[in-house]
This record gives sequence, structure tokens and C-alpha cells, in this order.
Amino acid sequence: MIDPDFITRRVEEDNPYPQGEEMRAQIGGRRRSGLFGRILFIFATISAIFILLVLLLSIINQSFGLVAQQEEVPEISIITDFHKRRVNKATNIVLSGEDDQALAEAIGQDPNGVGFFGYAYYQANADQLRALSIDGIEPNLANVQNGEYPGARPLFIYSSPTVIEEKPEVAAFLAYYLENLDEVVAEIGYFPAENEALNEQRTVIADALGVDNLSAVNPADFSGSIALGGSSTVFPVSQAMVDRFVADGFAGEITIESTGTGAGFDAFCAGNNIDVVNASRAADSIEYEACQAAGRDLLNFQIGNDVVVVAVSGANEFASTASREQLESLFTESVNWVDANAEWPNEAVSRYIPSTESGTMDVFVRTVFLEQTLSELPYDGLVSAYVANVSAGRCRAVEREQKFYDNFLICDEPTAYSAACAGGNAPEGCTAPPRTHKDLELLVQSEVVKPRILKSWYLYPSLFEREEIALEASREFPNAEVSFTSWLSLSFVTNPQSGTPELAGVRTAILGSIWVVIISVLVAFPLGTAAAIYLEEYADNDKWHNRVIQTNINNLAGVPSIIYGMLGLAVFVRALEPITSGAAFGILDAGATANGRTILSAGLTLGLLGLPIVIIAAQEAIKSVPPSLKEASMGLGATKWQTIWYHVLPNAMPGILTGTILTMSRVIGETAPLVVVGASTFITTDPTGPFSKFTTMPAQIYQWTTRPQDAFRNIAGAAIIVLLILLLTLNAAAIILRNRFSRRFV
Amino acid sequence: MIETNRSNNGHFAIEASNLNVHYGNFRAVKDINLRIVSQSITALIGPSGCGKSTVLRAFNRMNDLVPSAWAEGKVHFHGKNIYDDDVDPVEVRRRVGMVFQKPNPFPKSIYENVAWGAKINGFKGSKEEMDELVETSLKAAAIWDDVKDKLDQSGLSLSGGQQQRLCIARTIAVKPEIILMDEPASALDPISTLRIEELIQNLKEYYTIVIVTHNMQQAARASDFTAFFNMDGDRAGYLVEYDETETLFTSPKEETTEQYITGRFG
Repeated sequence: MIDPDFITRRVEEDNPYPQGEEMRAQIGGRRRSGLFGRILFIFATISAIFILLVLLLSIINQSFGLVAQQEEVPEISIITDFHKRRVNKATNIVLSGEDDQALAEAIGQDPNGVGFFGYAYYQANADQLRALSIDGIEPNLANVQNGEYPGARPLFIYSSPTVIEEKPEVAAFLAYYLENLDEVVAEIGYFPAENEALNEQRTVIADALGVDNLSAVNPADFSGSIALGGSSTVFPVSQAMVDRFVADGFAGEITIESTGTGAGFDAFCAGNNIDVVNASRAADSIEYEACQAAGRDLLNFQIGNDVVVVAVSGANEFASTASREQLESLFTESVNWVDANAEWPNEAVSRYIPSTESGTMDVFVRTVFLEQTLSELPYDGLVSAYVANVSAGRCRAVEREQKFYDNFLICDEPTAYSAACAGGNAPEGCTAPPRTHKDLELLVQSEVVKPRILKSWYLYPSLFEREEIALEASREFPNAEVSFTSWLSLSFVTNPQSGTPELAGVRTAILGSIWVVIISVLVAFPLGTAAAIYLEEYADNDKWHNRVIQTNINNLAGVPSIIYGMLGLAVFVRALEPITSGAAFGILDAGATANGRTILSAGLTLGLLGLPIVIIAAQEAIKSVPPSLKEASMGLGATKWQTIWYHVLPNAMPGILTGTILTMSRVIGETAPLVVVGASTFITTDPTGPFSKFTTMPAQIYQWTTRPQDAFRNIAGAAIIVLLILLLTLNAAAIILRNRFSRRFV
Repeated sequence: MIETNRSNNGHFAIEASNLNVHYGNFRAVKDINLRIVSQSITALIGPSGCGKSTVLRAFNRMNDLVPSAWAEGKVHFHGKNIYDDDVDPVEVRRRVGMVFQKPNPFPKSIYENVAWGAKINGFKGSKEEMDELVETSLKAAAIWDDVKDKLDQSGLSLSGGQQQRLCIARTIAVKPEIILMDEPASALDPISTLRIEELIQNLKEYYTIVIVTHNMQQAARASDFTAFFNMDGDRAGYLVEYDETETLFTSPKEETTEQYITGRFG
């Protein structure tokens, strides 16, 4: 029996533990050290999240932002030229010329005639003509002023309150302009602007000058200098106004230039001696901000509308309205009226069109024709735009690379071409299928339009320093257009590599990465699993050679990846070249030299890189399969192999797959070994199989970050985001697969 | 050699003679001579570490799974020493089944648990015959009524006692001649233990059963023969006494046996 006093005596006398207050203090002390640990962990977590966030934000910062972009041949002019050529090539052009009055009169005489010209001429000959409504909208004042009539664009002049205040002569000129506007606009043949808005603008000027009525302003009272610049469309109105202003006695100096709307704004905002901007479009937000930043808030005056009227003869009994499609057809492909609209008669269309140089033609094809982007243009249109804008030599070279049309040539001499094809080193164009529309579009973009990024800004300045950027852009790059760009876009993912950053994409690199990852997993997973089974289940770990193998595998997992690259170069690229280039299988393209720098070499190299990780993970997984399961299996008379195959492997599989996923993540991010193995620095063709040349996402990113131009850093940022998404997608897919797999065996 | 009084017409299911089992340099059991009578229940009892499980595992070469284990001496099964070089341990295990201390069903369905052993051993029957085999095995293990409606559920979803009976059904399904049981009820509650004991009694009709147990009441209740093992000074286990259960528990010949069964050590 235990002495009942024993416990009490122990507690009272020689208890080795603290008691009472001392005990509570001791417990409190233990708690406090726990609290310290907890604070440490929270701090570590927060800093980790913070660092990752900063990393992510800096990538995002690079991938979006403003750019100043300048096109060598603007896209819009390629499209306009194409449409103009179509219009000029149409059959039965009865009359074509600058004289709109002549056109209007001639159409009046021709019941099957159709043509288009400025609104003024329609008005002058309204008794003989009928204007067609477009998509059911008549060209009347209301429809033009509310912006519904397609064939119209508003015209503006711009100035600034600051300028009006500083230079009374400018205020006087604007007052004179607005006062005589209706008369002059009608004279030039434009459509008047809405009266209400005009009156408001008149009040603004009258207030600035301190007069009740604008007619009280006398040009002879003012001197000084006035400079106008900008749109060529508004130019005739302003020019007429200048002439009148001077004729009415203005004593100072007045100049007018026709430079284009964008250039006009840039010069105005930069304070380059321009007081009034002629504009054939409204200023955009960037221009507003640039001017604001320069202390020249924009003040706009809509002076009228440039309206194109499509007219038929008054004697025409069938046509009164037409859709845009029908009009496009009527002025291009249709031979007879019935071709454009089944309800119209089978009579030849007689066309009366302005000359190519006239602004009316530009407005007409830009507002009425449907195809307004490069990708909407037909293949033929892109070909002719390309051929018209590059040198004959370049065109020939491109055609030898890949033909435009299957059965005839555009740039090359047939004899020279067949001679080249018959030669020993036949160019690719002899056998390759003709270019696709998308290819051609990119070709036109990169060789004709040549959009050039003059400067790009990161996201934060783009968001918070817009005004400064707008000002800087208008000073330094007057002809460039500043716009907000997301470097990460669908076309960035689907375009191949290109020398110009704004056209470059990562399609080739994504496909390369996927190929390489698949091959490396196909190597690492079965080999690694097999090796792990041998080491865990069969090898006798007491034998020295097995211990050496085990130690080696553990060390290989930590070997720098560049060393795997050297191994890949020596073994796969050089020694096994016939196999890795595909020559041994006869897959090598005719005429190409065997080259082991292929997807297969890269995949095998990265497979080796991942092998130790898979082996170690698989060994751990196999070790963790309960021995009781193996005993149960063996006890039933299963052989060792049956036990491994039916019990050990399925139970270890989730762990093995985890190792494989880790390998996949590592492989997809590897750069160094691929640089050694020979990822291509510039490749635009998609990999077609294991024997293709390749590049991968990280290699591509690495190359872009080493380029000197700013814009390549932006697309590198965008490519990093794509890589992260690709990685997350592949991992998620693998994890879902693993979870499905492991659920089957529980 | 220690003989039992009843020789069952001189037919023994399995005979160990001068059996020594070593783990590396350590001799775990020494000089075991033991004849197991056919279609009877033989209990192996003894204090912890005396080598009774090792002897049991020697009967179907399960010790081979321990890399350092090796055996000397002979174990005769149908007149053949199973440790001879020309004997395939897989065949031995196929004919000498085993039930383990902790229930260890496969992480598969109940049906698969029973059918798997049959499949890998080349069961030749049709699907229907397989269904029948599964049913009769589960019935023989007295678990059919518990599981007949959920054969496609995981074997791990059953309770501990049910899992152990499933393991017995699994063993029965490959039709062994001998069933070795290593403390089959030690991880179970008393009711489950009782059901397992009843089951063992029923199985005796068709199978020779060797059971290791820590529970002397169980040995006394459920077995026909009892072998008492003890540990020697060199920590090697040896067979102290082997007799009909009744005799061994009522009038043991050895003093250590008496001390053990009266609870004075072990």
C-alpha cells in the first residue's frame, strides 16, 4: 500500500517543482516565449507576403502603361489608300475630278448615275439631285449635328483662355471668325455647326473682349501677331477667314499653316507660337492634359461639319436609301445596280467620283466603308498595300521565303523564281504553302506601318503623372500618338517573336516551353519512379555501391543547373546529334544540316535535371507506404512485384506525383541550361515536334531583358505574367490529376 | 523433442525441428522443435520478446521480409523443408495464410479486398464464381451480414473488429491449409475479441490454426494445444513446454510454466 501521507509530504516538503505564484509565473514565462515565437512567425509571414506583392506589382508596373507611338505609314492611310484604289478601279467611271459642281451637274443628267461630293454642291443642285440616306439616315442638319449621319465629321478650332487673355488680337480674330462663320462655312461647302453651341462660344469670346456683340469688333483696332496651324481640312475655312480679317484692316501679322491636327495640338500645347489650332477631330484626353499641364487649357469651337453626300439624279426612280454595304459595293465591285441591291434594276452603274487627292474621297471611304482595320482588309488588299510600300528587292526576298499566292507571283520574275527553285539550295517559298492572312497582316504591320515606340512609361507614372507625361510627349515627340497600352494582350500571347516590341509575342516560346516540359516529365517521371522502386525495394542498402548511388542522387539534386546544361550540350546536342536532330529517323528537313539543338535535347537535359527530385520524392513516398500493407499482400501469396505494382506504387503515387509537379515547376522556369543547350535567340516559327528548333518562356524573357530598348523591358514584364499563368495552369492541372488519383485508393 | 499426447494419427500440419531464427547477429529463437496438429487450434503463449511471433512467421517464411533475418534448422510442411533452396516462399505463403495483429485491409473496396488474393493467385473461375467465392469467404469469416450491402465501399470504412474479420475472409479466399494468426484480437474490444474467437472455433473444422496470444484466458478458452515460450539468459526465445491446453494449464510439467500461467511473471 502507498502511504497516504506520501503525496502530501512530497507536495509540502521536497517537491522539485515550483508551487503557487511561482508556478503561475513559470507557466506565464513559457507562454511568453510562445508569444514571442508567434510574433516572429506573423512577422515572417507578413514580410514574405509583402515581398511577393512588391515583386508582383513591379512586374505589373512594367506590363502596362503609356506609350508614345509613331507609325511610319499610318494604318489609316493604308486602309484609305486601299479603298480609294478600289473606288478608282471600278467600272464605268463616267467622270472623275476635282470640280464637285461638274460632278453634281453630270449626275443630274444621268438616271443611272451615282456619285458623292461635299454637301454644298448638293445644295446648289438640289433641284436635279436626290441625296441617298445611309443606313436609313438622311443627310440633314439634325442628323449631322447629332452625329448619326455616317458621312460626316465635325470640324473645330481650338484655343485657350490664357492665349485669349494674353493676346487680344487672337480674341479679336476668334470673334471675327465666329461672327462670319456661317457665311464662310457655306462658301467652302461644309455643314454649319449647331447654333446653340455656337452662340455659347460667341458669348465666351464677347465676355473675354468685354463687348456686348461680336459685330462690334473691328479688325482695324488690333495689331500684333496671330499664328494658326493644324488640320488641312479646316485650313480652307481658316484661310478664307484670315483673308477677310486682313482685308477688313487687321494691321498685324497673321500666318497659317496646314500641318495636320495632331501636330497642331502638339505645337499649341508646347507653346510653339501657335495661337489657334485647326482640328478635324476633337482633342483626346491626353492632348487635353498635355495642354492643361502647359497652362493652356483647351477651349474648343465647333465651326461646322464636313459632310459627304451620296447623290443620284432626280430622274432616278429606284434608289433613295442604301446601307453601307450597298454603298461600298456600288462604288467598287458592282457592275449593275442589281449587283448591290436585288431590288434595283439591271442597269449599268455610272459613277461620278471626286479625284483621289480630294479630302471628300478620304472622308467617304473612312466613314462609309466597313473595313477600317488591317485585319478586316481582304488578303488582296494587304498584298497590294505591302507591294506598294516596300522595295522590289525586299518583296522578292519575302516572296521566296513564302509565297503570297499559290499559283502566281506578285514581285518575282517567274523565270528567276523557277531558276531559284530548281537550284541546289531551294528557298523555302518553293514548297511552303502561301502566307495566311494573319502572317500577312503582321508583315504589313512590321514592314509598312512600322509602329515605333518612341518612349514608354511604367504604370505608376502613367496613372499618377499623366499631365507631365503628356507634356513631355508633346514636346519631344510631336508626331507621335500617346496612348495607354497593355503589353499583355491576346495578340501578345498569339503572336510569334518579332524584332519590334509592339508586334512581338510569346506564342513560339509558350509552345516551346510546353513541349520541353512534356518531354522532361516523360523522362523524369518513369525513370525516377523506377529508380526509386529499385533503391527502396530491391537494393541492399548495406552494400557500399548502393550507398554511393544514394549519396550521389541526393547531391545531384543540388547541382547548379548550368552544369546540367554542359552535360546536355556534350551528350545530347553533340554526341547524340544524329538522334536528337532527328537525322537518324529521317525526319530532318531536306537541305537542312543536322543540328542537335532541338526540343528533344532540351527536354532530355531538363528531364535529367528533374530526375533526382523525382527519385527523392518517390523514395520518401515509397518509404511511407505502411509495411503492414506489404505484409498483407505477401501473406496472401503475392510476389514481390505484385506487391509493388498493386499496393506500393498506388499508395506512393500521390507523393511521386508531388515530386513530379515540383520538377515540372522547376523545369518550366529553367533558363541557364537551355542557353547552353542552345535555345534559339530569335525564332518565329512554331515548334512542330521534338526535332524543332525552340525557345522557351524564360529564355525569351532573358533575351528581352538584355535588349537596350525600353519597350523590350515592358514585354519582358508581360511575358513574366504569361509565364506565371502558364505555370499556375500546369500545376493546377497536375494537382487536380493527383487528387483524383489519390482519391481512388483511399 | 517435446511431444503432445495426442498425435492425431501421426499427421502433423507443420513441423519445426531445431529451428533457430537470427536477426543479424542476434539469435531470436533457438532450437525450436514443434509439431502442429492438423485441424486443431494451437496457441503460442509467452512473455513479451520470447520469440513466439518469430516462430509463427517462420512457418510461412514471413521473416524473409526482414532483410537481416535468417533461419537455421528445418520446418517441414508436407514432408518438405520450406527453407530448402528449391522452395518458393510465395508458394509457402499461398498455402500457409496469415492474419496480422493490427487489422490491415487494403485501401480498396471490401469486394476487392477478398477478390484480390484470388486474382493474383490465378483464380480460374468466372465472374459469377468469383462473386460466390467472395460471398462464401465473407460468410466463413462471419462478416457477410455486416457488409453484403456495401461491398463496393472501402475496407477501411469498417470498424476494427470487422476489418479483422475481413482480413480473415481475405486469407480464407485463397484457400490455405494453415492459417497463422499473430495476436489477431489484441487491438480489439472484448466483444469483437469474442466474435473472433468464435470464428476461430468454426474455422478449425477446415483449417489448421496457429495463434499467438498474450491473453492466457484466450489461449485456455480457445485452443486445443498450447506451446509456452520463454526467454533464456541470452535473450533467445525457446520452447518451454508444449501440450494439450487442458493439461498445460492444469498440470504444467515445468515450474516456469506454472509461474507464468499463475501470473507470477511476464
